[in-house]
Order: sequence, then structure tokens, then C-alpha cells
Amino acid sequence: MDSKELDEHIENLYKCQLIPENAVKQICDLARDIFIEEANVIPIEPPVTICGDVHGQFYDLKELFSIGGQCPYTNYLFMGDFVDRGYFSVETFLLLLALKVRYPKRITLIRGNHESRQITQVYGFYDECLKKYGGINVWRYCTEVFDYIALGAMIGNRYFCVHGGLSPSIETIDEIRNIDRKQEVPHDGPMCDLLWSDPEIVDGWGSSPRGAGFTFGGDIVHDFCRKNNIDMIARAHQLIMEGYSYMFEKSLVTVWSAPNYCYRCGNQAAILEIDENLNQSFKVFEAAPFEDRAFPSKKAIPDYFL
Amino acid sequence: MADSKEGIDPIQVLTDELKNEDVQLRLNSLRQISTIAQAIGQERTRNELVPFLAEATDDEDEVLLVLAEELGNLIEFVGGSEYAHKILQPLQNLASVEETVVREKCVESIVKIARELEEEQIQDYLHPLLKTLSEGEWFTSRSSACGLFAVTYQSVDDKSKAELRKTFAKLCGDETPMVRRAAAQNLASFVPHIELEFLVSEFVPLFTKLSKDEQDNVRLFAVDNCVSLAKVFQTEDETLTHVLPVFKATISDKSWRVRYMASEKFCQFCESLGPELTKQHLVESFVDLLKDYEAEIRTSATLKIAEFCSRIRIFREVIIEKIMPVIKELRNDISDHVKAALASSVTALAPVIGKDDSVKFLVPLYLDLLKEDIPEVKINIVSKLDSVTQVIGIEVLASSILPAIVELTDDRQWRVRMSMIEFIPSLAIQLGVEFFDEKLVELCRTWLMDSVYKIREIAAKNLKRLTESFGTEWFQSTMMPKVVDLLKHKNYLFRQIAMYTFTTLAPELGTEFLTKSVLPEITKLKTDSVANVKMFLAKTLQSLIPYLEENTIQTDVKSCLSELSKSDDNDVKSYANQALSKCS
Repeated sequence: MDSKELDEHIENLYKCQLIPENAVKQICDLARDIFIEEANVIPIEPPVTICGDVHGQFYDLKELFSIGGQCPYTNYLFMGDFVDRGYFSVETFLLLLALKVRYPKRITLIRGNHESRQITQVYGFYDECLKKYGGINVWRYCTEVFDYIALGAMIGNRYFCVHGGLSPSIETIDEIRNIDRKQEVPHDGPMCDLLWSDPEIVDGWGSSPRGAGFTFGGDIVHDFCRKNNIDMIARAHQLIMEGYSYMFEKSLVTVWSAPNYCYRCGNQAAILEIDENLNQSFKVFEAAPFEDRAFPSKKAIPDYFL
Repeated sequence: MADSKEGIDPIQVLTDELKNEDVQLRLNSLRQISTIAQAIGQERTRNELVPFLAEATDDEDEVLLVLAEELGNLIEFVGGSEYAHKILQPLQNLASVEETVVREKCVESIVKIARELEEEQIQDYLHPLLKTLSEGEWFTSRSSACGLFAVTYQSVDDKSKAELRKTFAKLCGDETPMVRRAAAQNLASFVPHIELEFLVSEFVPLFTKLSKDEQDNVRLFAVDNCVSLAKVFQTEDETLTHVLPVFKATISDKSWRVRYMASEKFCQFCESLGPELTKQHLVESFVDLLKDYEAEIRTSATLKIAEFCSRIRIFREVIIEKIMPVIKELRNDISDHVKAALASSVTALAPVIGKDDSVKFLVPLYLDLLKEDIPEVKINIVSKLDSVTQVIGIEVLASSILPAIVELTDDRQWRVRMSMIEFIPSLAIQLGVEFFDEKLVELCRTWLMDSVYKIREIAAKNLKRLTESFGTEWFQSTMMPKVVDLLKHKNYLFRQIAMYTFTTLAPELGTEFLTKSVLPEITKLKTDSVANVKMFLAKTLQSLIPYLEENTIQTDVKSCLSELSKSDDNDVKSYANQALSKCS
């Protein structure tokens, strides 16, 4: 697939139109070839704009680009959970993936806990693929790609980015670099924790109400930052009504990029712009207005009225 | 068909494909029917393909829908109008399927074909078809029949006409609501063909009865039928006696769907009544809709305010005394949608009521609505202000509303900011360059540095519009230093928007200025530390090429681009190479 063809697919995806199944296969293959070369923790030179969960809310992703600027002119890091919950997981993930293939250096994707075969069968992506393509091939291609997506990113050696949080089995970022990540998200262990854990105001480690990963306190975060010589952990994974929130004297930030989550939570969304001098600025935004959205087509329901 | 080989029969291929399990494949092959018909010729299409399709009506609804549509496109392939009636058979079969969408498409196709038929063919083929359908045992065929009366009636003899009217009357009283609904739905298109003598004696009773049907889905169409009948009747008396009471009843119907329909079609009905009768009989009804307890209906009616008032514009006192007080009430409606509708309605009202009343009644309302916390309300006001300006004059607008707008260019909601910012140039252009004082120039620069990308883009486009009107010198003296400063901003996104501004303005700035003043500034960015900026520089240079001196392109531009093309970054390299290829 040459870049002209790819640009055409990207253009269609920007319009929220599906692309042919064979194109999905090609893009997934190309993406895998790129991901396979990437380290578990991808080094990123600032500037870059950090984004949290998107969850298939395609029109809100477009809103995000309206605010943050278009890729490739703005650099982006998406911290996982591209799919599930929203109506347009297929279009959302394929757009991000196609952009990744077209501009590998301008957009970075890391894995979220929803980038998994098991979770997507429960929370919508599987059903959506089945419905939109009439088969599960697209879901298979995508979930195979999931296994190759990196676990974290490191911005200018100062900000460590991960979907969920820390793990009791990991003390240094080098240990993350040594994980064999090319697999389905495990039920436990360091890789699972990175994608599932949450920060908690209580110090130390705790068991997570999610049933996977752990909760970790400010002491753990401060230790981790000191030991790895970093300033901050940026993560996503949790709905924040204001779009973002700092914890532990700004040594951790949660960024959430799905406004009005599940089309009903009424929350704001945010992206975090890191400029070339590592200055941080948040852009908070709301869901795209009604007129700018489309809704998934439903099969015409016969007009019975009794 | 290009790939049809000797010995392989296209109809056989179609037969096989329609047996395939994959719905998508069956759909695709049905979409090819015209191609197949063309390949086998008119005679075989008539004698083999059409009869074959008549048998193909046992499939999924979505396949049948396509079949119903494609059959309507076959006229030229069966040999034109002379043979068009041949396609009626398969459509007759489809007319009785269960799925409404398929039946509707099927009726649409039959009507399309009927329009091509000679009177004789209608008498011989369509009339019997209509008869069969209307006597069908299953309600589906009877409801399809309702859609065919209008097109059949005009082409048959008097005896058949009498028969058709009788049949239609029977369907209007059908025991199945779906059929009565179809009859009600098609009454409006049928009555224009009915001779006046039968209208009052036969159709008014039908129309009145359907408008009182127990099902709101049937009553719904009373509104359309009122509009249609009011057009057909030639005397006011007939309309007032037979139609107006029914229309008024829809406005107080207990079903909100009926009232909603009445609101949606309100102005159409007023049109057929004319201003005098509208003033006499419908003002109160309209006010009732504006005060309906369902927000959806208030929204719908509110959106009609300007149009309604324009129908009775000769009665100024009615608008001021009856409508204006309701507008004031709607201002404080509990529904955001109603307020948003009001905002767009009252801006459209200004041309209707003229300058003096607009200044007196509407301008204060605009200012008030601009203070609303709902983004749509503010956006709706400002997006139509151009038409208001034409009525009240630019000076009044500048002194009354402009300050509020300028204030809102700083709104928390970016879409509100955007609509205000987009409005400023057209205003500034009308007011002239003197009006564009230091404060607004400074604001233009601030907008270029908005935190939202889309606004920065609009801000650059604004500068283009302003420069088009005020001239290049205005840009050079007031804006140029500010944009050049922006090229040095510490944030890469702002350096890019500065370049984008020059790209946007290129046609206005002229070759000399671009070559001597702009180019040297932007090429400094070739050593920028951020790859995106260098990519953007290459892109900017490429779009400036048509406006630069040839000499400079071959020297400065090329050398800058070749430097960029040696970058380690693949994106910079490819943008630079692409621009280089445009240099020669």
C-alpha cells in the first residue's frame, strides 16, 4: 500500500466511513511491522500532546483534533483504550492505526486494558466488528495488532506514560523494557498491572476493586519517580469529570479524553500539551455538538403501532 | 457485460448468484440488473428476466428493497414506455410483502413506471393491478393500493373513476389501522385530481372521518390533507366550513405527534389561507402552539415565528400585540432547545418587522440572549446577525451589539468564541478601517494564539478577509510585525500558525512583499529544533511557490528545501522532497 492509497483510507476514516476488509488487513500488517520495532517503553522527544481513553467516541476524537491540531502537524501520544463502549470503535481505532502507519514518528500509541481479546468481546468492539463487517476477520486482525502495541512511553526522559499505573513487581523502567509484551494481556503480573492499576490516596499497595492490577499510593509514586529519575507519571484509565487531575504534588496526572463518556456521564475531556521545553498545558473540551455527529444506523423498524 | 463469455448465460449467472448465502453478494448482483438487461437485450429482458424476478420475491427485506428499487429503473431496458407495463407483475408481488420500507419503495417504482404509461396501458394494466391490490386479503396489499389512486385516476374513464372513488372510500374505512393510515397519507395527493363536484360530497366526509380516527398515526395526516384541500377549494367559504375546523382541531389534539405535525405545516396552511384569514382565524392557534406544554412543539413553533409573522406582516399591531409578548415569555423558557430556536427565530424576524420595531423590541432581546449560558443560543444569534445588520444599519449594530460580541470572543466555550470571531471581519469590513482600532488589532493577534487549533485557523482566515478589504499596507503596518513575532514563539504550534497565516494571505500580499519580507523570515525556521515545524516550513514553501519570483525559487527556496531534505526525520525529508519536485 503506497502513501497515496493510505491517504485515501485516512480521508475516508476521517469521515467515519468504513474501509474495505482487505485494506484493514494491509494496514494492520503494516502497523504490526512498525510496532514490532518499537521498544516496550517508547522514547518520545517533546513536543507531544498526551491523550487518554477515547473508547470509540469517533466524533469526540475529531473534536480532539480540532482542538489539539491535525496529525502530523501536532504530535500525539494516545495512552490506550481506543475501543469499546462508544459506537465507533472500528473507525476510531483504524483511523489512529492508519495515522500511525502513515506517520510513525508523529503519533505514538500505547496499549490500554481494553486492547485485549477478552475485554473487547464483552464491551462492544467484537460485536461492532461483527455487525459492521458481517464477520470477525476485522476483529481478529485488530486484536492481533493489539499484542504488538507498546506498554509505555517516556517523554524527554522526564515524563513516564502508561495506561493504568505501576506494579509491585516493577521498580525500574528498565524492568518494563524487559517484559515480553507480545501476548494477550495476562490476568496478573507486571504487564497486567501496568494496564490495570490505579493511584489511590492511601499509601502503599492495595488490592484493586477492578479485580486486576493494584492500587498504589503517593509514596510508591514518589519512590518510583526518584529511583527512575523522572518528574511525573502520566496515565489514563479513570474517568475524571474535569478531564484531568493531578495527584501526589503533581507527580502523577490522569488524562481522560472521552467527553460525556458513554454518551451520558456528562464529564469533560482533556488533552495535555507538552511543548518543546516540557511545559505542560491542558486543553479541556466537551463532547462534539449534536449537529456534528452521526449515529449508528439501525435497521429500519417496521411502523407497527398497536 | 465485458466478462460474459460465450456460452455463459447472464440470467443463469444471476440465478446462481441470487441463491448464494451471502446477502451482500445477492445485493450486489441485484444492483447489476440493468447491466444484465442491457447484455441480453430488450426482448429477453421482457420475456425471461422480468418473469424470473417476479419469482424472486422470497428473500431478506434488504434484498427485496433493492429489487423494488431496481425494477423501477428497468423501463428503458424492456423497450421503453411501450412495454413498461411488463415490469408491473414483479412489483405487484412485492407490493404485498410485510416490510413497510419495501412496500413503499415498490409503490414508488410503480408510480415511476405509471408516469411513462399511455392512458390505454393504465386502463388495461394499472387499473386491474390497483383493483387486485385493494381487494387483497392481507392488509399489506391494501395499504400499497392507497398509493396508486392518484396516478391511476387521471387516466381512466368515468365509470372506472366512480369505481375508484368507491374503492378509496372503502379503504378509508378499512378495519386495519395501517390501511386507514395509508389512505390518509395518500388523500392529499389524490384530491387535486378529484372533480370539484365530488370533493364536497364524497371526499370531505372521508377527510373529516380520518381526522377523527382513534389512531394518532392516522390523524397525523389530517394536517397534510388540510393543506392540500385548502389549495383545491376555490372559495373561502368551502375552506372555512370544511377545512379550518379540522385544522384547528389538530392544534388541540391530545396526541403530541399530531400537534407537532400541525406546527411543522402551520405556515403552509397559512399560505393557502392568505393573510386576512390567517389573521382572523389562526393567530390564537399559533400562540397556542408556542405555549404548548411539550418542549418539542414549542421548539418547532418557535422556529416558525419569523415565517408566520411574514405571512401577516401587513398587520403590524397583531405581531406586536399578540406575538411579541409570547416571544418575551419564550425568552425564559425552561428548555434549552426552545431558547436556541428562539435565538435563530428572532434574528430572522428583524427583516420582517423592519428597523424601528427591531431596534425597539429585538435588539434588547439579542443582548439579553447573548448573556445566556447555552452556547447554541449565542451562536444562533451571531450567525444570523448579518441579516439583522441590513435592517437596523451598521451604526446601530456597532453601538449596541458589537461590545457584547467582542466580549464573547473570550467565551469559555470554543465554539462560541469561534462564531463571534468569524463574525468580526464582515462587520469590520462594513465599518471601515478606521473602526478597526488598536484594540481589535490586538484581539486579532490574540486569536492567532488561541489555545484551540480551529480558532487559530479561523483567525488566520480572518486576516485574509480583512487584508482583502483594507489592503496589503494595512497588513504590513499593523499585523506583519505581530505575525513575525509569532514565528519565534516558544511553542511549535504557534510558529506553525504564523506560517499558515502567510500561506493563507499569499494571494493578497503580492510577489515582492512575499519574496523580500516574508520568505527571509520563514526560512529562518529551517534550523528549528522541532521536526513538525520543519515539515510545515516545507509545506508552506510549496504553497508559496506560485506567488514567488522565479529567481528566488531557484535559489533561496530550493536551497532551503534541499537543506530540509537532508533531515534525519523521514517526514521532514518527504515534505521537503515533495516541495522540491514542485520547484522546477
